[in-house]
Amino acid sequence: MADHSSSTTHSRFFQHHFVDAEQQFQTAKMGMWIFLVTEILMFGGLFAAYIVFRLWYPDLFTQASTELNTFWGGVNTVVLIGSSLTVAMAIKSAQLNQKKNIAINLGITLALAAVFMVIKYFEWTHKFELGIFPGQFYDFGGIAHEKANVFFSLYYLMTGLHGIHVLIGMGLMGWLLWRSLKNHFDSEYYTPIEITGLYWHLVDIIWIFLFPLFYLIE
Amino acid sequence: MDTAESSSTSKKIQVQRYKPDDNPEKHYLNEETGLWSWLTTVDHKKIGIMFLGAITFFFFVGGIMALLVRTELWTPAKTFIEANTYNQLFTLHGAIMIFLFLVPSVPAALGNFILPLQLGAKDVAFPRLNLLSFYLYLTGAGIAIFSILNGGIDTGWTFYTPYSSTTGGAVTTMVFGVFVIGFSSILTGVNFITTIHKMRAPGLTWDKLPLFCWGLYATSIIQILATPVLAITLALVGMERILGIGIFDPAMGGDPVLFQHFFWFYSHPAVYIMIVPGFGVVSEIITTFSRKHIFGYWAIALSSLAIAFIGFLVWGHHMFVSGQASLASMVFSFLTFLVGIPTGIKMFNWTATLYKGSIDLKSPLLYIFGFFFLFLVGGLTGIVLGSIALDVHLHDTYYVVAHFHFVMVGGMVMAFLAGLHYWWPKITGRMYNETMAKIACGIIFVGFNVTFLPQFVMGSQGMPRRYFNYIEQFQPFHQVSTIGSFILGLGFLMVFYYLVKSLFGGQKATANPWGSRAMEWQINTRPPLHNFHHIPVIINGPYDYHKPMEEFQLGLAESPTDGHGQESDLEVTSDGKEINAE
Amino acid sequence: MSGHHISTDKTLLGVAAALLMLTILTVGVNYIHIPAPWNIITAMGIAVVKAGLVALFFMNLYWDERFNSILLVAGLAFFGLLVGLTLLDTLFRANVMPAF
Repeated sequence: MADHSSSTTHSRFFQHHFVDAEQQFQTAKMGMWIFLVTEILMFGGLFAAYIVFRLWYPDLFTQASTELNTFWGGVNTVVLIGSSLTVAMAIKSAQLNQKKNIAINLGITLALAAVFMVIKYFEWTHKFELGIFPGQFYDFGGIAHEKANVFFSLYYLMTGLHGIHVLIGMGLMGWLLWRSLKNHFDSEYYTPIEITGLYWHLVDIIWIFLFPLFYLIE
Repeated sequence: MDTAESSSTSKKIQVQRYKPDDNPEKHYLNEETGLWSWLTTVDHKKIGIMFLGAITFFFFVGGIMALLVRTELWTPAKTFIEANTYNQLFTLHGAIMIFLFLVPSVPAALGNFILPLQLGAKDVAFPRLNLLSFYLYLTGAGIAIFSILNGGIDTGWTFYTPYSSTTGGAVTTMVFGVFVIGFSSILTGVNFITTIHKMRAPGLTWDKLPLFCWGLYATSIIQILATPVLAITLALVGMERILGIGIFDPAMGGDPVLFQHFFWFYSHPAVYIMIVPGFGVVSEIITTFSRKHIFGYWAIALSSLAIAFIGFLVWGHHMFVSGQASLASMVFSFLTFLVGIPTGIKMFNWTATLYKGSIDLKSPLLYIFGFFFLFLVGGLTGIVLGSIALDVHLHDTYYVVAHFHFVMVGGMVMAFLAGLHYWWPKITGRMYNETMAKIACGIIFVGFNVTFLPQFVMGSQGMPRRYFNYIEQFQPFHQVSTIGSFILGLGFLMVFYYLVKSLFGGQKATANPWGSRAMEWQINTRPPLHNFHHIPVIINGPYDYHKPMEEFQLGLAESPTDGHGQESDLEVTSDGKEINAE
Repeated sequence: MSGHHISTDKTLLGVAAALLMLTILTVGVNYIHIPAPWNIITAMGIAVVKAGLVALFFMNLYWDERFNSILLVAGLAFFGLLVGLTLLDTLFRANVMPAF
C-alpha cells in the first residue's frame, strides 16, 4: 500500500492506516478520552453506592471516618497533585524537545506514585492491626454503629480500586520512562505520554473526590 | 497530499473513478496466510471473521441448551434431567446467548468487517486494541466455560443477590468471566466511536454516514457508558462472595435492590446494545432491495441516538415487584413508554422506504420482513409490560420470556441473519443458495412463532418462568412450544449448512451483486488487505439510488502509474459538496 | 491549534499552587464544623473546582477540541443519571430495607 501522505516525513511510530501524524495523535487522544468516560462510570458504580449508603446512614459516616487519618490523606492528596504536575511538565518537555527533562519528570512522577502507595500501605496495615477488615472479617469495637463494616467495605473498595489504578499507572510510567530513555519521544511524537498523562490526571481527580468523601467528614 | 489543488476559497481535489474488480487474484485472505497470520492479525476483516466464527459456535452451544430446556418441559414433572441441571441449563442458555452471542454479534462480527469499509478507512482506529478485544472475549468465554465445568451456576443470567452471593457453584469465576467479556465490549465501543469520528474518508460528512454506522455509533455509546457499571457491579458480587462486603447482601447489612439498580443500569441499555445495530442492518438492506433513498434519513439516524439515551432512563421497569419505592416505579413506567416513540419512528420510516420502491425480494430482505413482524410484536408487548399494573401480574411469567425472545431472537437474530446474508458475498466472495435461504427463512419464521406465541398465552394465564415443574393445564402449550423450538433449530442448522456449503463451490460473487450504492460494495470482492487501493472521495449519500454508479466509485487521483484508476474526469471540493465536469 | 497547546511553566506551576491552596482550604474548612449539609456542599464544591482545574489545564481541555470536553461532561451526566434515578428509589422507600 502506498503511503498517501509522503509529503511529510513520519516518525517511525507512524501507523499506515492514518493519513498523517496529526490524525494519529488526535485519534489516540479521543480514544483515551472515551476510555476515561468508561473509567468514570466504573468508579461511578462505587460512588453511587457510597451516596446511597451515606444518605441512608449519615451517622455511620461521621462516626466511622474518625478512624481515618486526615493528615496522611492530605499528604497523599498533595503527592498526587505533585505527580500530576510532573506529568504535565513531561508533556511540555516533549513538546519543546527537551528530551532529558521528559525522563526526569517521568521519573519524579513514578517516585511520587510510589510514595502514594507506600503511605496507602501503612494506612491499610494500621487498620488491619486494629481489626478493621473489610466486610465479614470486620472485627473492631471502636465504632458504635451496626453497619460500620459497610463503611469500611466502601473505603477499602474505593481506595483499593483507586490504588489498582495507581499501580497500573506506575507500570505505564515505568514503560514511558524506559521508552524516553531509548529516545523514542520528541516534539513530533509524544502520543503515549500525552494519553498516559490523561489517564494519570483522571486518577488524580478521583482521589480529589475520595479525599473529602472519606477523610473530611465531621 | 500531493495531488490536491488548493484554490483560494475551498480545496479542490482531483478524483478518478475506481471500478472494483469482481474476483481479484489478491485479496485479504490470501495476501497473508497461515494460522499465525490469523492469530496475530490486526486486520479488522479477519478479526470480524474470527468473531463471527466464535459467536456462531456459542450460538449453537446456547441453542442446544435451549433445546434441552424445552425438551425437559415436555412433561409437567421431570422428563429426563434433574431440576438442578435444568437450573444450570437455563442460566447458561441466557448467559451464553447474551454475553457471548447477542452483544458481540452485529457490532464485533459484522460491524468490525463492514464499518471501516463504509467509512472508507483502511482499518479501525486502534487495530491492536481490536485484536485485544477478541482475545479478551475468548478469555472471558474460557473462564465462563471453566465455571460451567467447575461447579456450574444456577442464578439465572441476572445474578440477583442475595441468592448469587450465597449459593454454591462457580458464581465467582463466572462473574469474573463476564467482567472480562465486558472489557472486550468496552474496547469495541471505544474503537468504533473513535473510528467513526476520526477515520472517515474525504467528503463523508455526518449527513452522508450510512445508517449502519449510526446504529453502531449509538451502540458504542451505550457500550462505553453502561458496561463499566456492569463490570463494577459484578466485581462487587464477587467481593460479596469473597469478603462479604455487605453492599448487596442483606445479611451483611447491604441492600439487594441496589444490586438490581446497578445491574439493570447496564442490562437494560444492553438490550439496546443488542438491537440497535440490528436497526442499522435493516436500514441498509431496506434501501438496497427497494432501490430507493431511505425515507427520513435523519429521523432514523437520530432515533438510534434517542433510543440509546432513553434506554438509560428506564431500567427500573425490571424492578416493579422488587420492593423499590412506588415513586420510582411510576417514573420508570412513564419513561418506559417513551422508548416506543423513536422505535415507532424507525418502523414507520422503514415502511415508508418500501412504499413505491422497486422491491427485489432477495433473502436478506425476506429476513427483514420477518424482523418487522416479530419485532413489532416484541416491541408492543414491551409496552404492555411497561405498565405497572399489568407488569405486577405478568412479571416473571412466560409472557416476559416470549416478549424478550420476540425482540432478541425475532428482532436481533433475524436482523443478524439478514445482515449475514447481505454481506456474505462481500465477506466470502461466494453466493449461497438463494432458494434454500428463502426456505430456511420461512422455517425459522414458522418455528419461531410456534415456539413463542404459546408462551404469551400461558404466561398471561400465570405460568411462571424458570420453573421446573408446572401444572398440567399448561402442558399443551409447553408441548407446542417444544415442537416449535425444534423447527427453529432445524431452520438455523439449514442456514449453517448452505452458508458453509457456499464456501466450497458456491457461485463466485461479483463486486456488487445487489447493485447497492453503499461504500462497501464499491471495492473488490473479496476486499484487498487494506480495503482501498485509493483514498475514496464521497460526494453522494449511500442511499442516492437516483444517481449513477460511477459517482459512487470515486477516489483521490494518484500518480498515473498506480494502474487502478481510470482517467481523471471530475473535480470536487474537499467537503464533497459540488462536482464540476472538467 | 487544538491538541498541541504548549503550556508554560507559569501556568502549570500556578495551577499546581492553586490545587495545593484548595487542598489546605478544604482541610481547614473541615475543622470549622460548618453545619450539615453545607459541610458536604463546601467540600464537594472545592473538590469540583480542583477537578475542574486539573481537567482544564493539566488535561488541556481548555485548548482541546470541544468533543473531548463533551465526552467528559457526558460521562459525568450519565453518572448523574445512575445516581439520580437510584435515589428516586432509595430515598423514597417506606422502609430502607425491603420486606423479605
